[in-house]
Amino acid sequence: MNSPRRENAVLAAPLVLFLLALLGFPVMLSVVYGLSETTFQTLTRPRFVGLDNFARVLGDDGFWQAAWFSLRFGVITAVLQCALGLFLAVYLAPLIRRHGWMVAVLIIPMIVAPAMMGLMYRLVLHEFAGPVPHYLYAWFNYSPPFLNAANVFTTVVVAEVLQWTPFAFLLFLTAYQAIPQEVREAAAVDGTRPWRMFWRIELPLMLPTAFVALFIRFIDGFRVFDNIYTLVGAGPGGVTTSMSIYIYEAFLRQGDIGRAMAAAILLFGAAFTLLTLAQRLMRRAA
Amino acid sequence: MRIGTTLRWLVFGIAAFVMNFPVLATLITALKAPGEVSRNPSLWIEEPTFANFATVLTISDRLNVYHYLWNSTVAALIGAVLPVIVAFPIAWAMARRGVGRALLFPLVVNLRALPLIIFAIPLYLMYAAAGLLDTRLGLGLILAIVNLPLALMLLVNAVAEIPLELEEAARMDGARTPRLLWRIVLPLCRPALITTFVFGFITAWNEFLFGLMLTTQRAVPMTVGASFFFATSGGGVQWGVAAAVMIVAALPPLALGLVMYRRIAGSMVAGAVKG
Repeated sequence: MNSPRRENAVLAAPLVLFLLALLGFPVMLSVVYGLSETTFQTLTRPRFVGLDNFARVLGDDGFWQAAWFSLRFGVITAVLQCALGLFLAVYLAPLIRRHGWMVAVLIIPMIVAPAMMGLMYRLVLHEFAGPVPHYLYAWFNYSPPFLNAANVFTTVVVAEVLQWTPFAFLLFLTAYQAIPQEVREAAAVDGTRPWRMFWRIELPLMLPTAFVALFIRFIDGFRVFDNIYTLVGAGPGGVTTSMSIYIYEAFLRQGDIGRAMAAAILLFGAAFTLLTLAQRLMRRAA
Repeated sequence: MRIGTTLRWLVFGIAAFVMNFPVLATLITALKAPGEVSRNPSLWIEEPTFANFATVLTISDRLNVYHYLWNSTVAALIGAVLPVIVAFPIAWAMARRGVGRALLFPLVVNLRALPLIIFAIPLYLMYAAAGLLDTRLGLGLILAIVNLPLALMLLVNAVAEIPLELEEAARMDGARTPRLLWRIVLPLCRPALITTFVFGFITAWNEFLFGLMLTTQRAVPMTVGASFFFATSGGGVQWGVAAAVMIVAALPPLALGLVMYRRIAGSMVAGAVKG
């Protein structure tokens, strides 16, 4: 007879072994390489340099520029997506109750690969082949340079918001539909008007969802890579270099493995701290 | 129709049009004749044609779409099935006995919130040593890591919802744990298994960063292959063909997603709320 204890170990084994092989080992490697000076030529002979790489990363303006970009991008896109998603969910809910297919139409952007979305925007915004400049010229005789240093931030924010508002929309729609009908009816009997009903009753009930949606959208915005990389890469003068793009460029473009690893470890530390804090907050709120 | 309802339809129409605009415009461009693309960037097609798709689907030295599609299919299948296999036994033990609830569960679930680039570089170094660089297996393994958090969450939820009486009845008949899992629990988890698979397949297919970093030629997935096509066509990009490539790349997840959109929507929400 197997004891439950041994049986539990057997049941956990596949997952634990998988994690050890694909994450445990790489984590060890990242510590070794984070503390070493390595290029692709000396890949198997990392030279120990202590905290040198971390000092180089922290002293690099590019790193701080990337951190600032990711932070700004994450906050702005998360807020815009949640505001738009909340509006669409609440405003369209009466229609969606009768026409479920509307949800499918609105979540199409999420099912398209962000990398493909970035490439699609290249086409859509292209000076000569793109429909957006075409119509702007036809109607206003002017089309702004979407991808120059001054405008590219707005462009990538809009692209990200338009692709991922559906995610916030979906979360808010589910939360909105989960509000018991009796709550609304009771308020309606008391003569509560729709606008007041939203602010005083419905929105407070959806507050936990709002936290979750903001947090998830922030995280995804903060770690953005695919769509920005395929649309503009690091951007003119590096203005769209997110943290992920910074690390990627340090690694594959500049072959500076030590610096890339150190930056990745710093990013991990930041993400981990943020995650722990957010979960504490949410638990306290719940 | 009341004016309020009309306004709602209008808002829906605008939102659907604006959010889906890149996909729509790409589809329209793909259906234009090669000569028309440069002459007419509007949303009106003068003479619709599948010529661009024919070009894309013809094997050439520069672009072998079948190769990319095959790589994506194999890697995405590994990335969608493997998480279910490794997560299912422990999901049952977590839901029923609380095994790993304190450490393992939060550890795996939080992976979802970490920037993927953190893993990409050490994995690159490990793969280089293990000979897994530029292989479909290597790509599939890392896609499995990406899908693991949601797989575990959905499966733990699914097991917790199975009535205990069913398991107890099987125990009375003398079923040991492996048999119980295989014969009773697994079939009852079928809806969650399908959701996990569909969602995982779409996520894996759409992944870009690992494909970009861990493959160079033999195992290049469709998303990365499509971007190569933009980068290598020196001079001008052939927009009609480029648009057709993007449509071909986006079609498999779109088709799967639209057929199963209720499941997709449900699993997004479940993953978000528990995460």
